[in-house]
Amino acid sequence: VACLLALPLAAATVDFQRQIRPILSDVCFQCHGPDSGTRMAGLRLDTKDGALSELKDGRVIVPGDPQASLLYQRVTHEKESMRMPPAISHKTLSAAQKELLRAWIEQGATWKEHWSFAAPTRAALPSVSLQSWPRNPIDRFIMARLDAAGLQPAPEANRRALIRRVSLDLTGLVPTPAEAEAFVHDASPDAYEKLVDGLLASPLYGEHRARYWLDVARYADTHGIHIDNYREMWPYRDWVISAFNRNLPFDRFTVEQLAGDLLPNRTMEDQIASGFQRCNATTNEGGSIPEDVDAMYAKDRVETMSTVWLGLTTGCATCHDHKFDPIGQKEFYQFAAFFRNTTQRPMDGNVPDTPPMLVVPAERDLNRWNQLRAEAQRLARLSVERHDAAGSDLDHWVASRPAIEDPLDRAIEAASIGASGNQIVARLNGVARTLPATTSVESGLGPDEQTRAIHFGEKGTLSLSSLNAIDADKPFSIAAWIYLPAGEGSFVVASQLEKKKETKQDDDDEANMQGWAIEINGRIPSLRLSSDNIIRATGGVMERLKAGAWTHLTFTYDGSRDRRGFRIYMTGKAATVEGTGSAPTLKGSIHTGAPLLLGGDGKRYFSEGAVADLRVYRRVLREQESYILASWSAIRAGQREPLLEYYLNRVDGPYLDLARQAEQVDAERQAIRLRSPTTLVMQEKSDTIPTAQVLFRGQYDQPRDTVTPGVPAVLPPMAASLPRNRLGLAKWLVDPANPLMTRVTVNRFWQEVFGRGLVKTAEDFGSQGEPPTHPELLDWLAVDFRESRWDVKRLLRLMVTSASYRQSAVATEDKLRVDPDNRLLSRGPRFRMDAEMVRDLALSSSGLLDATIGGPSVKPYQPNGVWETVAMKSSNTRIYSQDHGEKLYRRSMYTFWKRAAPPVSMDIFNAPTRENCTVRRERTNTPLQALVTLNDPQFVEASRQLAQRAILAGGDDSDRRLDFISLSVVSRPFETHEREIVKKEVRDLLAYYDAHPAEAAKLLTVGESKHDLTIPAAEFAAWTMAASDVLNLDEALNK
Amino acid sequence: MMHPTDEAVLLETRRQFFARGARGLGFAALASLLRADEKSGGLPSLPHFAPKATRAIYLHMVGAPSQIDLYDYKPGMKDWYDKDLPDSIRQGQRLTTMTSGQSRFPIAPSVFPFRQHGRSGAWISDILPYTARMADDMAIVRTMHTEAINHEPAITFMQSGSMIAGKPCMGAWIAYGLGTMNRDLPTFVVLNATHTHPKAGVQAISAKLWSAGFLSAQYAGVALRSGKDPVLYINNPDGVTPVVRRRMLDALGELNQIQYETVHDPETAARISQYEMAFRMQSSVPDLTDFSKEPESVFDLYGEDARKPGTFANGCLAARRLVERGVRFVQIYHRGWDQHNFLPEVLPAQCKDVDQGCYGLVQDLKSRGMLEDTLVIWGGEFGRTIYSQGKLTPTDHGRDHHPRCFSLWLAGGGVKGGVVYGETDEFSYNIVRDPVHIRDLQATILHCFGIDNEKFSYKYQGLDQKLTGVEKASVVKGILT
Repeated sequence: VACLLALPLAAATVDFQRQIRPILSDVCFQCHGPDSGTRMAGLRLDTKDGALSELKDGRVIVPGDPQASLLYQRVTHEKESMRMPPAISHKTLSAAQKELLRAWIEQGATWKEHWSFAAPTRAALPSVSLQSWPRNPIDRFIMARLDAAGLQPAPEANRRALIRRVSLDLTGLVPTPAEAEAFVHDASPDAYEKLVDGLLASPLYGEHRARYWLDVARYADTHGIHIDNYREMWPYRDWVISAFNRNLPFDRFTVEQLAGDLLPNRTMEDQIASGFQRCNATTNEGGSIPEDVDAMYAKDRVETMSTVWLGLTTGCATCHDHKFDPIGQKEFYQFAAFFRNTTQRPMDGNVPDTPPMLVVPAERDLNRWNQLRAEAQRLARLSVERHDAAGSDLDHWVASRPAIEDPLDRAIEAASIGASGNQIVARLNGVARTLPATTSVESGLGPDEQTRAIHFGEKGTLSLSSLNAIDADKPFSIAAWIYLPAGEGSFVVASQLEKKKETKQDDDDEANMQGWAIEINGRIPSLRLSSDNIIRATGGVMERLKAGAWTHLTFTYDGSRDRRGFRIYMTGKAATVEGTGSAPTLKGSIHTGAPLLLGGDGKRYFSEGAVADLRVYRRVLREQESYILASWSAIRAGQREPLLEYYLNRVDGPYLDLARQAEQVDAERQAIRLRSPTTLVMQEKSDTIPTAQVLFRGQYDQPRDTVTPGVPAVLPPMAASLPRNRLGLAKWLVDPANPLMTRVTVNRFWQEVFGRGLVKTAEDFGSQGEPPTHPELLDWLAVDFRESRWDVKRLLRLMVTSASYRQSAVATEDKLRVDPDNRLLSRGPRFRMDAEMVRDLALSSSGLLDATIGGPSVKPYQPNGVWETVAMKSSNTRIYSQDHGEKLYRRSMYTFWKRAAPPVSMDIFNAPTRENCTVRRERTNTPLQALVTLNDPQFVEASRQLAQRAILAGGDDSDRRLDFISLSVVSRPFETHEREIVKKEVRDLLAYYDAHPAEAAKLLTVGESKHDLTIPAAEFAAWTMAASDVLNLDEALNK
Repeated sequence: MMHPTDEAVLLETRRQFFARGARGLGFAALASLLRADEKSGGLPSLPHFAPKATRAIYLHMVGAPSQIDLYDYKPGMKDWYDKDLPDSIRQGQRLTTMTSGQSRFPIAPSVFPFRQHGRSGAWISDILPYTARMADDMAIVRTMHTEAINHEPAITFMQSGSMIAGKPCMGAWIAYGLGTMNRDLPTFVVLNATHTHPKAGVQAISAKLWSAGFLSAQYAGVALRSGKDPVLYINNPDGVTPVVRRRMLDALGELNQIQYETVHDPETAARISQYEMAFRMQSSVPDLTDFSKEPESVFDLYGEDARKPGTFANGCLAARRLVERGVRFVQIYHRGWDQHNFLPEVLPAQCKDVDQGCYGLVQDLKSRGMLEDTLVIWGGEFGRTIYSQGKLTPTDHGRDHHPRCFSLWLAGGGVKGGVVYGETDEFSYNIVRDPVHIRDLQATILHCFGIDNEKFSYKYQGLDQKLTGVEKASVVKGILT
C-alpha cells in the first residue's frame, strides 16, 4: 500500500477506494463495521448511510466540512481518552492518514461501494506516451501506469530468455537446446506467437496448470488428520490435467467441480470432478464427535469455495459477523447449508475409498462395467417382483409340511457351535461333540427363548479342534449372535491363531501371528486375517453394536486376498465395511493347525460376553442368507416374512436362479472393481433438503437457528430458477452478474505468470485485501475472459504475448527506486520457481525425466525417517517405501503427498501442506533450500547425468561441454568470463579428483540410474560438480 | 568438531567473499553475511518490555499425561474406588465417543504413591523421582484447561493457538518477533524423541506443529534428526568433500555475482548469501551434534540414555547445546502418553523415558547460569479422566481424554520456582481456583520473552492475527518472579 500511496495523484484528489476505505477498514471497522455483535455507539462506517448518519453528538461526516464532522473531530481529539482509535484497539492513525481523511471530507466525502462488489466494466483503453510499444490491450493499461510513474518499459527480452520464460510459464519445463535454437533462428514475423501456440497445445501445458490448481483444491494422497492413511484420489488429479488440456471453459470447470454429481445426464468425468469437494482433510480419530467433524468439513468447503471463486475470507463469519466485509454469520451458515446435505460420513474409516466413491474402470472395462450395473439392477428388480409374487407358492409349500432343519444347506457348513441345555454343542468339520460347561464358560440365556448361548466369565475361553475351512484363497462366512458387554472395551470373540515360525520369541504382537480373529473394539466389530501382513474388515463404524445387547453378525470373505473382498451384515442387513490393511492384499497363508478358540486369543478376551449359534460356511453368504441366520428362531416359529425369505432362498427355483445370476454379475463386477482405481466423489442425500444450523461462536455443540441455502446479500441474488443445492450455487458463481468470480480467476492466472496478482492478496478481495495495482486492467481482463466464454488458453495467450510480459527482466536504478517489487511491471517477470519446477528442471535438463502423464502417485528419493517420525504406528503411510526405476524421475506433481509430512524437498521450497486451500504460495529464500539443490541425491544424480550427456555430446572440447550444460539449464551459451570461471573450477576439481580417485568413484554412484563407465572418473566427477553449479545458479532457479 | 582444514577453507573464502561483497553486493546483503553474534531480524518494536527469557525449550508430552497420576494429588479418591463419578461433578460434560457409550464411570484412584518435595512441599508422584528433586525450580500449574477433546486438534491448539491447521506455532511466532541470535543455525529447532514401552498409546504428530503457518517460511522449525543426517540434506553427497564443496561454491558465487551485475535483481544478492549461510550450517551442525567432548559428569546428570541418539535425554542434551549456540526456541516431542488402557503398566515407563532428562536439562542450565533466561515448559495437550475407561481392576485401568483440567510445569526464564498454582476439585475434574487456559499460558510465555500478546500480531487475511487468538488472554502473574 505504501508504494501505491507514494505514486503521484492527479491534482491531489483523494481516491476513496484506494486511500480512504483501507484506512476505515483497518482502523475503524473492528468496532464500527459489519459485525452487529461488537458494533460500538451504534455507528457503522462500512456503509454510506452509516458514515453520514446523525449521532447524539453530531453528524459523523458532513461532506465538505471536516471540522463539523464527528469523525474528524474524534480522530484528532486532544484528549487521549476521547481520541479515536482508542488505545485498547492497538491501532493508530498517522498524521498523513488524518490529513487524507480531512482532505477527503473537504472534497465532498465521495462514497463508493467496495470496489470488488461492483460489477467490472470494460474501460476504454488509456492513451499512452509510446504508441509503438503496446502489443495488446494489457500493455495500454500497464504503460499508462508506467507513464504516471515516470518510467519507461524495458526493452524486449532476447529470444533465449523469452523462450525459457514462456516455456516455463506454459509447460513448467525449460525448452530443449534444440527448441531454443529453432526459435532463435526462426525469422518469421510470428515466430513467438507460433511458439506460444505450440506450447499451449502441448500436453505438458495441462500438467503445469493442474499443478497450481492442486494447491487450490488441497489435493493430497492421504486423509490428513491423525492416522493419515492413504487416500485414492488421483483420478481427480488426472481429471484436472485433462480439463486444462481440453481447455474446458472455466465456468464449466467450476460447475463440474462444485456439483458434477448433480448435473443432469452426468458422466463419470463429471462425478470425478466433484472430487474437488472431497479433497479436504478428514479424520478417523477415535473419540471424535460426529457433529464437530461435520461442522469442520462444511467450514472447510465454504472457506475453500469463497477463497477460490469469490476471493473472500468468509471463515471469520463462522463465529460472528465478519468484522470487515459485509458477510453475516447467518450468511456463512447459509453457504454451509449447500455442503451439509452429503451422504459422506464424518469418519473417513482410514480406508482409501471412503464413500461416496466411484470405481473408475479403465477404458477397456468401462462398457462391461456399465452393462453389469444395469444387469445387477435388473436382477434386483426381478428378485423383488418374485418375492412379492411368491405368497401363494409359499402357502402351498407350507401346506406340504416341509421339514425345516438347518437355516442353510448343511453341505456348505464347516462348523456350528452353540449351547443346548447346560452343555456346549459343537459340530466341526462334520464331527459333533458335546462339551460340559466350566466355571468360566457356561451355557446361559441367548438372544431369544429358543436359543441358548455360551457365556464367558473373566478370561474364559473354550478350545475346540482346529477348523480347517479357513484359508486366504478360499471363500468363507462366519456368522453368530453376539452379546456385547456394557462399555467400550476391546475384545476378541473368537480366534484361530499361531505364532509364525520366524517370529522373535519375545514379540507376540499381532503382526507376528498367523490365522484369523473376530474382534470388537469400541463397539465396532472386525474380522482380521493375519499372515505376512494383515487385512481387516471393520463393520458398521456408524451403526456400532449396542452394548449390553445381542446383535447377529455375519462376516463374508471371497478368497480374493483383497481388503475389498469382505462384507459384513448386522442382523441380516448390510453394514458399511471398511477394509483396511497394512498392504492392499494379503500375502502368505492364514491356515493354521491351531485350535479354534472361543472367548479370546490368549491376550484379549470376551469376558462377560456371550456367543450363540456360531456358524461357519464354505462360501460367501448373500445378504438374504445372513437374514435367514439372524431370523432362524422366527422361521422356526413360522413367522411369515422370515419364512418367505427361507422359502425363496432355499426352495424356490425361479428366485434361486435369479440369485445365482446376480452372484455371477457380482463376481464379475468385483473383478473389475479390484483392478480399477477409485476416487472420492460427492453425493447428495436424496431424502432431505440442504440445511445448516447457525453455530454460536462456531461451536458445533451450540446450534442455533436452522437456515436454508442462500448467498450473502451484498452479492447479486440467486435466480429463483436455480435449484437450492450445490448445482445452483455453482451456477450462481458463474453468473455474469457475479462481480468477483472473473476478477479473482484472472488475477490468479496473472499471478501464475507474473509472480504476483494485480491484487496481491489473491485470497482476499475484501475490505482488508490489497486494492489492485491496475484496477481497470483487472476489470478489462475479467470482462474479456467472460465474454470469450471463459477460454483459459486464450487468456494465457493474451498475457504471454503482451509486450509487458516480453520485457527484459533487467532492472535499472530508476526502476529499482520507483518500482522495487516490479508491481508496475517496469521490467519482465523474474522470480524463483516453485518447488516442483526446480526439481523438474533438474530432471528434464539431465534427460532423466519420465514424461508419463497421470496415474498413481510415486515415491522418489526422500531422506529416511521423515514419515516414521510423525506417523501413528498403525498408519499405512508410516514407512516411506521409495520407488525405483522410472518412478524416481516423474514430474514432481506426481510425488506422493502425505499431508502430515509433505515431500520434504518441496516443503523446504514453500510447497503448502495441502491441508487447506492455498491460492498463493510464499517465496522465501532459506539456506535449507540451497542444501536441497546441492545435496539431495535427486539433484546430485541429475548433475551427473547432465555432465554425462555434456561429455558425450561435447567430446573433448570443454566449451562444447559447457554449452550443452548451460543451454540445457538456462537456454543460453555462457559469456567468456563465465566460461573461464567454470573451466577453472573444472581444472581445479579435476586435479583434486585425480588425487582422490576414491572420492570421484563415490560421487558417480549417487542415485540409482546407471552412469557411463567409459568416462574417466575424475573428469566425470569434476564435470558433475560443474553441472551442479549451473543447476544451482540464481538464473537457473529463477524463471 | 570442524576439521581444521575445513575451517581454513571457510575462513579463506569468507575473506575472498567479503572482498567481493563489499564491491558488488550492497550493504543489505553484506550485513546478512556478517558473523554477528547479536540478534538480527525480528520486529523493531519488540520486545515490548524487558524480557526475562531470551530462549525457550518446550517439552511436549504428546498424548496427554495423566495429571491425576503425576502432579494433581487426590488422596481422597482411595475411598471412591469403583464408585461412580457423581453427576454433580460431571455436569453433563461432553465425552469422547470412546467412553460416551459406557454405562458406568467408575473412579480409578491413582495406583501410584505421592510424596511432598522441596521447600514448597509440592506433591509429586513417585514415578517422577528426578523431577521431584527439582520441585523448587519449577512452577507446577494444575489448572490448565482447553476446549479440544481429541489429540490432533488439541496439540495444534496448544502449539498454534488454533485447533485448525494453518496457523503459525509458538516457536515461529517467537522467531518472527524476536529474530535470531546466531548466524549459523536456525532460530527454531524441533526434535522428536523415541519412547520405549511397546504398549504406549502413541498419537500422531505432523509437520504443522512446527510450521510457520501464514508467517514467512523462514520462521518454521527445522527438525533436528537423530542419525547421520541431523538436518535434512545437511551432508554433502558422497565424494564431495568440504574442499570440493568450497571450490564449487566459490565458482557459484562468482557466476551469481555476474548475474547480479547484469540483471540487478536484489534477489540474486539474497541467493548468494543463502548459499553461504548453507555452507556455514554445514560446518556448524556436525559440531552441534557431536557429544563426544561432553564430560562424563554430563551423562551422569542426564542419564546414560543421553548417549543414545533419539532418546529424550539425548534430545535434552541437544537442546542445551542448541540454546547455548543461540537457538531461540527448541521443541522436543515425546510420544506415547495416551493411556486409554494399561495405565498402571505404561505410565511409569513413559515417565522413566523423560524424568532424568528433564532434571538433567534444568540442572545443567542452572549450573551454567542459563536457566535465568531460558524458559523450560513441560506438558501435554489436555488431561485425563478420574474415571476408568474400560474395565477397572485394582491393578489395571485406562483413562479417557479430559480437557477441563490438566497439569504442566515451567521453570526458568522468569518463572518462579517452588510454586504450585491453581486447584482442582477432589476428583481432578473441574477447576475450583485460578484456571489457566492454554491461551493464558501462551500469553505468559510471550510475556517472559518481553512480548505483550495483545500487541503482537501479524496481518493475514485482513486480520491482525495473534498467537492467543481473539479471546482475552491473561498472563499468569502468580507463577512469575
